[in-house]
Amino acid sequence: MQIKVENLKYTYSPKTPFEKVALDDITFTINDGDTIGIIGSTGSGKSTLCQHFNALIRISKGKIYVGEWELHAKKLDLGALRQAVGMLFQYPEYQLFADTVKDDVAFGPINFGKSKEDADILAKYALELVGINYDEVAEKSPFELSGGQKRRVAIAGIIASRPEVLVLDEPTAGLDPQGKREILDLVTELKKSYVKTVIMISHNMDEIAEYCNRVIVLNDSKLLYDTTPRELFANKELLSQTGLQAPHTVRVKELLKDRGIDLQGTPLTQAELISLLGGVL
Amino acid sequence: MRDVSFGQYYPSNSVVHRLDARAKLLLTIAFIVMVFLVDNLLAYIPVVVFILLVTLVSRVPVLKVLKSIKAIIFIVVLMSIINLFANAEGEVYWSWWRLSITSGGVLTAINLALRLIFLVMGSSLLTYTTTPMELTDGMESLMYPLKLIKVPTHDIAIIMSIALRFIPILMEEVDKIMMAQKARGACFDRGGVFKRAKALLPVLIPLFVSAFRRADELALALDARCYNATPNRTKYKQAKLGWGDLVATLITGVFITLVVAINNNFWGLY
Repeated sequence: MQIKVENLKYTYSPKTPFEKVALDDITFTINDGDTIGIIGSTGSGKSTLCQHFNALIRISKGKIYVGEWELHAKKLDLGALRQAVGMLFQYPEYQLFADTVKDDVAFGPINFGKSKEDADILAKYALELVGINYDEVAEKSPFELSGGQKRRVAIAGIIASRPEVLVLDEPTAGLDPQGKREILDLVTELKKSYVKTVIMISHNMDEIAEYCNRVIVLNDSKLLYDTTPRELFANKELLSQTGLQAPHTVRVKELLKDRGIDLQGTPLTQAELISLLGGVL
Repeated sequence: MRDVSFGQYYPSNSVVHRLDARAKLLLTIAFIVMVFLVDNLLAYIPVVVFILLVTLVSRVPVLKVLKSIKAIIFIVVLMSIINLFANAEGEVYWSWWRLSITSGGVLTAINLALRLIFLVMGSSLLTYTTTPMELTDGMESLMYPLKLIKVPTHDIAIIMSIALRFIPILMEEVDKIMMAQKARGACFDRGGVFKRAKALLPVLIPLFVSAFRRADELALALDARCYNATPNRTKYKQAKLGWGDLVATLITGVFITLVVAINNNFWGLY
């Protein structure tokens, strides 16, 4: 499903002293199969932009096409759209509410019109996919779980509805390194199944470099760059302009260069860095 | 949810904003008394003029003040309907079974609705023009006599200020949780009253959980900063009564006199 954003503009609390432009004339396209990273400093409009994709924020100015849907149209089948575009909020564990883990995960599918039995099957599948031991945890209260487990259950609650597009707002915030890796590997795993497109907000450049094939940089409500991680992180000036820091792999390369070892190319993952190092040693 | 504006501060540098919080608190109470003094509809004229005057001088948009009524519109309607039937005095307009609408009932209903509306408008003007900090300091200062008989006035004041401060925070939280549940297909504006109430459960449970979590964190943060370790806290901003407060009191006094005068038909208007 292709997502096209055209001249999108959004203002919070218009015509009050609290007025604030959050998005200013944003235009870009997300292709089927993309894993796209959205980066930018706090308050640059990343979350606001992402909340447009499943019409949680209705468009005030501009256009968005998500596959067949025209989000700027007056009438919109919100149910079908939100089923197709799943959205994981920041700290999603704070939205758990049901008596049991199973019911919480089945909440989405039931809302999207599945029968109780079908929803339970989808919930079981989703929980197993995120690495939760179903037999052990399904009947527990979500409030009894550990932080990492809660996050997984919350993710299961989104993917149980089988979305084609997955929007993740800082999915790894507040997790330990092990938890971070697991969540991102899960996203990679999901992309092999029914999730076609992933849109990910992150402050962690290592994650962006390793997992995304494209990256959008927002700065002060405006779209600054629409490029690939390799290009972005290869360009030191581009980075310093926006106050972004290169991923560790690129920083290692820079440090080596200062000491006279010039690696060719921009390593985005540990594996790439190691193979580049192998070339010069 | 952002429309619920009751209890929010509206920043501006108007004369009303600069009045002493204690004066504004007392004058708001005086205004409420003024509203409840009215028993002739004509006497609402000075009340309306007064509230309009204060709104204009305070530079809070009139629409914003009117919006504060939105939160209580349900109570206003309900109370009016109950009063419409409860008062059976005067001329009977319509009756069925044991219910009847009478002139007395209509009058009580209108009176009550107007009273509630002005009450909320007046008090929201207070919160629009006074920061929660000023308000609590004002309350604490006004409660001084109680302190002499060992009432923990400072604690009461701080509890009130925390409650006020948390209204917008919890509103934001509600917004966020609602969005998250909407993303999972929840629908809050369809179906009958019961269905809608049930649909709110996935919002209310996380909201309560997070409210308790926040309370815990806040308590820890207060402890960590040795809150209440010293018996007498000093204040950064010392409130002082000024000329403006005297003028505001006089103006309010004039309007109260007007209300009483019209109520008692002082000029023989009716």
